Amino acid sequence: MPMTIDTEHVAGSPQIAVISLIGELDASNFELLVANVRQAYDDGARGLVLELTELTFMASSGLVALYSAVRIMRGEAPPDPEAGWGALHEMAEDHDPDAAPAVRLAGLQPPVDRVLERTGLKRLFDSRPTRADAIESIQGT
Amino acid sequence: MSGAATRTLRIPAEVARMGELRAFVRSSADAAGLAPAAVADLVQAVDEAATNIIVHGYEGTAGEILAHARRRNGRMEVRLIDWCRPFDPTAVPEPDLSIPPLERKPGGMGVHLMRAGADAVHHRVRPDGGNELTIVRVIDRQPGED
Repeated sequence: MPMTIDTEHVAGSPQIAVISLIGELDASNFELLVANVRQAYDDGARGLVLELTELTFMASSGLVALYSAVRIMRGEAPPDPEAGWGALHEMAEDHDPDAAPAVRLAGLQPPVDRVLERTGLKRLFDSRPTRADAIESIQGT
Repeated sequence: MSGAATRTLRIPAEVARMGELRAFVRSSADAAGLAPAAVADLVQAVDEAATNIIVHGYEGTAGEILAHARRRNGRMEVRLIDWCRPFDPTAVPEPDLSIPPLERKPGGMGVHLMRAGADAVHHRVRPDGGNELTIVRVIDRQPGED
């Protein structure tokens, strides 16, 4: 499997899970990321930082995992992984920045950033330069 | 990669093998002199194409994908050969990205990334069955190069 997933909990209000993806997110492992987010939510996390500094590749299936993460942190069921673009379409429809869930992307690298740009979905994900910025943006100072 | 040398990789049609395919494309494209951003684009295009073959072509049944990579006439070409039913991803309609996401029709996310990462994609049904998909990326000339 070309990816390692590390989860760390950060105390505070709300409790945050920092999930670090190291390697390549693709069709073989995007469901594993969804399972890790689900576990973090079940363990009490209500904020999520996806630390992507060491994520060197993301396939289109990774977008479905990112969307699933947002849904799970809202307390909703993740979408059918087979729904693909349809699932993201649905996400765009109910995207409300004022009710944005506490999910942040941190440390986006160019190849992954390009996937978000090229699919027109970058604006749907709140992205911060570093993990510390991302945590602060959820918990405040 | 020098001259018209072709590198070949044959893998089972399983998503768990895509990392191997990406490494093959990355090392071939690096050796051919593609710039890092172009290498990443080609890797993305080939991954999306091969994943499509596995998910929509073989549909979970056992099979193989044969990949050839070569540099030719200032272009890097990756050819994917499969033995599944005829499927032409270049015929999948392109999503209109000028339309806001919430107004778009669903479909074609992986195929869109395949096209976006390539300068050209060609498909043909092989006479003995299966598909041949050629993904092309132009190699930018370096300063001082002929």
